[in-house]
Amino acid sequence: MKTHESPVDQFDAEALKELRPENQLGKTALVLAAVCVAAWFSNIVNGSPLLDALPGMLILYVMVIIGLVVGRFCPFYLPSVAWVSLISIIATLPFFPGNGWIIARLAEVDFLAVVTPVLAYAGLALTGREFAMFKQTGWKLVIVALLVFTGTFIGSAVVAHVML
Amino acid sequence: MDIKLLLDWRLHLTVIVTSMFAEWVGIVRIPLGPGTLLLLPLLYAFVIGVLFNPHLFSAMGKVIPKPVSNAAGPIILIAILPFIAKFGSTIGPAIEQIIAAGPALILQELGNLGTMLIALPFAVLVLKMGREAIGATYSIAREPNIAIISDRYGLRSPEGIGIMGVYVVGTMFGTLYFALMAGYIASLDILDIRALAMACGVGSGSMVAACSAALAEAVPASKDELLAFAGASNLLTYATGLYISLFIALPITEWMYKRLKGSRQEVSHENS
Repeated sequence: MKTHESPVDQFDAEALKELRPENQLGKTALVLAAVCVAAWFSNIVNGSPLLDALPGMLILYVMVIIGLVVGRFCPFYLPSVAWVSLISIIATLPFFPGNGWIIARLAEVDFLAVVTPVLAYAGLALTGREFAMFKQTGWKLVIVALLVFTGTFIGSAVVAHVML
Repeated sequence: MDIKLLLDWRLHLTVIVTSMFAEWVGIVRIPLGPGTLLLLPLLYAFVIGVLFNPHLFSAMGKVIPKPVSNAAGPIILIAILPFIAKFGSTIGPAIEQIIAAGPALILQELGNLGTMLIALPFAVLVLKMGREAIGATYSIAREPNIAIISDRYGLRSPEGIGIMGVYVVGTMFGTLYFALMAGYIASLDILDIRALAMACGVGSGSMVAACSAALAEAVPASKDELLAFAGASNLLTYATGLYISLFIALPITEWMYKRLKGSRQEVSHENS
């Protein structure tokens, strides 16, 4: 792939499909461990020291793996994110055994600190084609984005206004 | 994809150093007019990631070779999952509040479908955008919405470019824009101020903070009430946003896009 970069760029949609996290559980488990380590270190600064955050990070790791396994073997399709969030909601419901302990361990993991590495990967992953594409449509996206924000705010406000 | 590239130590070490630096800088608040510009660590992490990107600066190929950068693409899909798990864990404990919050709060969640009402026709008919418009307008483009697009189309698809564009704009200007817009609309005194507070809950911590703070400034007497409504609504968006985006917003956007493209083609046929 070192010598055939542009074909890789062209076929990346298929590569991504092949790499759907739940379809390659072994590989995903290893990569997930690496990204969890990144989040674990990112969490030191505004979250907790490494040892205090270890149980929380391991819980997140296990929740993701369970979600992926359910998604892999479930007869109907839901995105892996939906399965992972469902597993996490169930595990923290008031009647779930040990939910207090799970919530307390997860409190050591800062909400924003887990996202920071994701955006670092995202910045590093942009391809030449994407830079070109964004240059082409960049200013349009700024206008569209502001319309999107206005639309959701007005939409919610009008519905709530009618209901109140 | 080769597992050696996916686990390349230079990639993950760069991400760790970048993230720790971004976290160390922390949240920066820049007062600007009536609002405050909130800069979060994830924004710096993204910008630093872009600066290290070998496709933008070929000199960076010494730190991160291009094949390693390409391997980072599929890694994003996996890296977002621990965050989704953390996200879900804020919903379970609050399930009673969510149930008690009532029908007004629940129904106004449907107002979040307003993202595409103005933006999609404008993007397709005026700006002549392609499928980027679907990713850009189907949601408010925060992390869970990105996860849906990345799962369904991949982040390198046109839909992915669209949502990442809106995400970047939202990260850079969204907070400020929400503060300005909410304050201005409150000053017009057309809609119930409590309705505006509920509308602040769009599923982004910094946006809801800026939005409700602006409303509280506009009507100081009901500050506590407004913050409570905004907080409950935001919590509800955390709980329902993923599912509304996935099962309602995305299909509607796809349908509207097809209709808009269809009508545009008809018009151009008539003209020619």
